[in-house]
Amino acid sequence: MSRLRLTIKGPAESGGLIAINGSTPMDNIDPRSLYPDYDVLAKRTSLSWNDATRRVIDARLAVPREPRFFSGEQWATLVAVCRRILPQPADRPEVPIAALLDNLLRTDDTQGFRVDPLPYDGPAWKQGLVALEAEARAAYHAAFPALSERVQDALLKEAQAGRLHHPAWAPMTAALFFKHRILTDIPALYYAHPTSWSEIGFGGPAGPRGYVRMGLNRRDPWEAREVGATSQAPARALTRHAR
Amino acid sequence: MRCHADTDTVDFVIVGTGAGGGTLAARLAEQGFSVVALDAGPFFRPLLDFASDETAQNQLFWTDKRVSSGTNPIKMGGNNSGKAVGGSTVHFAMVSLRFRPEWFKSRSILGYGADWPLDWAEMWHYYSMAEQALAIAGPIHYPWGPKRPRYPYRAHELNAAAKLLARGCEALGYRWSETPLATVSAPRGKSPPCVYRGFCRFGCSTNAKQSALTVWIPRALKAGAEIRDLAMAGRIDVDHQGCATGVHYVREGQWRFQNARNVIVCGYAIETPRLLLNSETACFPDGLANSSGLVGRYLMTQANQAAWGRMEDEVRWYKGPPSLALTEHWNYEDRGKDFFGGYCWMGQGPLPIEWVSVQTSARGLWGPALRTEMMDYNHQIGVKMVGEMLPNEDNRVTLDDDTDQYGLPIPRITYEWSENDKRLINHALNQMTMSLAAIGATRIFPQDDDTNHLAGTARMGFNRETSVVNSDCRSWDIPNLWICDGSVFPTTGGVNPALTIQALALRTADRIKHLAARREL
Amino acid sequence: MTKDADNRSAAPPISGGAIPEASNIARAPSRPATDRVYERSAHDLHAAAGLIALSVLLDSAVEHYRGSYHNKAMFTPLVTATITLTATAHGLRAPAGLGHAGRRGIFVLAVATGAVGTGFHVYDILAKPGGISWQNLFYAAPLGAPSALIVSGLAGFLAEHIRATPPDESARVFGHSVSRSAALGSALALVGTSAEAALLHFRGAFQNPAMFFPVTLPPVAAGLLGFAGLRPAVGAYPVTQACLTATAAIGLAGTGFHAYGVARAMGGWRNWHQNLLDGPPIPTPPSFAALALAGRAALRLLAHDASRAGHTPARAVPP
Repeated sequence: MSRLRLTIKGPAESGGLIAINGSTPMDNIDPRSLYPDYDVLAKRTSLSWNDATRRVIDARLAVPREPRFFSGEQWATLVAVCRRILPQPADRPEVPIAALLDNLLRTDDTQGFRVDPLPYDGPAWKQGLVALEAEARAAYHAAFPALSERVQDALLKEAQAGRLHHPAWAPMTAALFFKHRILTDIPALYYAHPTSWSEIGFGGPAGPRGYVRMGLNRRDPWEAREVGATSQAPARALTRHAR
Repeated sequence: MRCHADTDTVDFVIVGTGAGGGTLAARLAEQGFSVVALDAGPFFRPLLDFASDETAQNQLFWTDKRVSSGTNPIKMGGNNSGKAVGGSTVHFAMVSLRFRPEWFKSRSILGYGADWPLDWAEMWHYYSMAEQALAIAGPIHYPWGPKRPRYPYRAHELNAAAKLLARGCEALGYRWSETPLATVSAPRGKSPPCVYRGFCRFGCSTNAKQSALTVWIPRALKAGAEIRDLAMAGRIDVDHQGCATGVHYVREGQWRFQNARNVIVCGYAIETPRLLLNSETACFPDGLANSSGLVGRYLMTQANQAAWGRMEDEVRWYKGPPSLALTEHWNYEDRGKDFFGGYCWMGQGPLPIEWVSVQTSARGLWGPALRTEMMDYNHQIGVKMVGEMLPNEDNRVTLDDDTDQYGLPIPRITYEWSENDKRLINHALNQMTMSLAAIGATRIFPQDDDTNHLAGTARMGFNRETSVVNSDCRSWDIPNLWICDGSVFPTTGGVNPALTIQALALRTADRIKHLAARREL
Repeated sequence: MTKDADNRSAAPPISGGAIPEASNIARAPSRPATDRVYERSAHDLHAAAGLIALSVLLDSAVEHYRGSYHNKAMFTPLVTATITLTATAHGLRAPAGLGHAGRRGIFVLAVATGAVGTGFHVYDILAKPGGISWQNLFYAAPLGAPSALIVSGLAGFLAEHIRATPPDESARVFGHSVSRSAALGSALALVGTSAEAALLHFRGAFQNPAMFFPVTLPPVAAGLLGFAGLRPAVGAYPVTQACLTATAAIGLAGTGFHAYGVARAMGGWRNWHQNLLDGPPIPTPPSFAALALAGRAALRLLAHDASRAGHTPARAVPP
């Protein structure tokens, strides 16, 4: 038994981090990729991808950019929400999160279940966006997309904390909608996109070829090389077109 | 594949082809019975159909309408369901552990839960059979529990995440082990050795995984069973004598009826009680096999909390099966616990979508803070528990007023953690956090809200008043209706259930053979 | 020396499966016959040393590439094996009867490198979680691999000794008979190689019955060879010879089996990036052939020693 004794606290303090081994929160630092040379799509024709993978990723990259599930107003609110939940750098093509969500709900490619009292995903999204819009108009007399980013953030934080109570939310609550829909679906769609895989250095699709070098600080030539890397791989020139 | 007409009265119609149904289809067909196994999902060809993608492989999960409610609603979808031939073994993490022997008598020996009407030593025999059949790749010496035969295949090479788990355990003075896994470390038949692609929980596109789809279903087909995919069972018919006569199912938009001398329900802890409840008749107004009123009750999930942290080193946990190493210390050590039950913890390798869901659900992060945290993906480390939750009558599956695409009433799932469950979770979170701290991880945080796996809802027991099936998985009320999957578990233990379900199915097949020989079917 | 004797000795001793007509040599041990035995033995030992060095070169190149050459010392076996290979090639082509100090030095270097490499590999195992455990024996730096360089160096070293020995003297190394040293050394190396195959084939769960061959037949050959080294008898050792021939065959067939293993892995040869590294190692099985070659050289020397000592048993006559 170790002498170390800990008490777990809720995720309120320091973003849920437990202060051990010198942790410090690092909020609001402009995030920068450690893998600027890495493009997971360079592996598209390699053995790391099979035909089934190419089919689904190609379809994802070609997702229609206009709404087919949401109404025009809901769409505008959604686009604004997506930009606050997952702000993206201006110097690269944006991951079309809203379009991916629209497509997902239109084809009902969801997890299927609903958590009481939330409706199923599609209706929940429509209602939630309407409710958020209603909150914006009630509090600021303006449409949500027209608000400044700071105000949008403030409103979203209120929703997360469950402090919004417009009747348009019923029977769900702002907190449940924020937790189960906004904070579940938007990040999932962003990190389903190859752009995000390149950004975080994820190996991406792997099959039929998997990985050989499994140990600490080891990588295969077809994996991303980190800037100032501690990891070692036999071929360093391969990263840009790691195939 | 041998095919039967609906009008053929087959010996067995099996509903579901996962760990329970797939195993039974193979074993019963091998014993010479005529078998039709229905599955609501498609018969996938992994080499052609499986993408290396977290999102697209949603095709493997049960995503029909369901309602989850209660104080601690269970997350459904990918966590604990499968809608494919092979069931959830198509996307399970391949962790193949045995119960601690005492758990089969946890009420009498350990003072909680309920006893199984089974003897652990007999189950030990069927565990060995299952391990051989699945060519489990495991350690030479497993450090916990009674002696077991050597695993047929050698353990896999540990990835960095597993080695760090081992270091954490060594720092705390606990034993650790390579996890016995159902994926081959050397060629086996048509299965090439695992290539460590890391998408195990989204289907194995190389067939290295030894799932029901790659092991039991081919055996079933070879022995003459028919596997009927995309066939959703909606109702079991019962005659005036109170015997099951077959199953109504919908396939290609048509409702059909398969005649059978015996019906075995293997739909897992949600769909099994749902089918039984949906099959109510005038004779059985509360649903089939439900004279005890316990169908749908005693639903259990398992605590699946985790501790996460950051290493200076590059871990790149997306490589290899996610849970290559584990410790069962707190499954076998009872001293110092302020709760009943046990838990293990194992290495983790969440892919980006799962990892971001951890960050958002456990810490509520979004905006730049979220993207910043995600940049550390390749430095993350984590351990995740599989913990025993206690059976509680009020955690249950009932029928909702709403209906699904087949017009069948959908299941409503209600769940609340007990005080004991919470104490177990808190203990585990402390322990796992210490193990990460001990290896120098920084930015540690707990994930306190996850659950995984299902059990209960048609528990087995010693008599018809307190259980739904007997030790042979045969319902007390209807002699030719059997239930064989995780739903018969009286308790769920602190390990992943797949191997126990398969061992139970192997035993049930042997019992059926024995009963048939004595003309007691 | 008659023309007849010349013709007789010219019969191919290596591929023929039997040592030269020992009875004739035994009856009239002459300078050229000794010369030829020494020459042929040195030739075979050089060849064995070269084949093992080649195996080490290829295997360590692949395995250390897999290890990303994270330690610069991981290039050492490549360099040493290449030099050793060059030395053996030089030895094979050099005029008979001459030892060569430079080559000898290189073989000593190979032995030293192998010893240091073993140290590194032991350290690698001990440093990993679990220490000396099956996991680390299977997947950490392989314990047995560096000793192949030791074997290669020793074989070359013996070859040089034999080369340098005048025909009218019996070859000795550090006061021991070269023939017995070669026999015992080859036997030991065969046992070691077989043990390594056993470990790795156990890791592979002996999934193919052919995987039992290299862990059963070579130890038998090694036992017979070792017995011959400990209790030299006069004769052609036909059973030992046959076992060694079979061992060589296993070694060569093993390469084919391992190539099949690579083909059978996911993606097959198309996925050579992964499967050459993760699949069964193609360069290693020929070590058995090399050691069998060394063993046969040892038998030839043993027979020769016995005949010089004046034993002339009739049963040594080949059929």
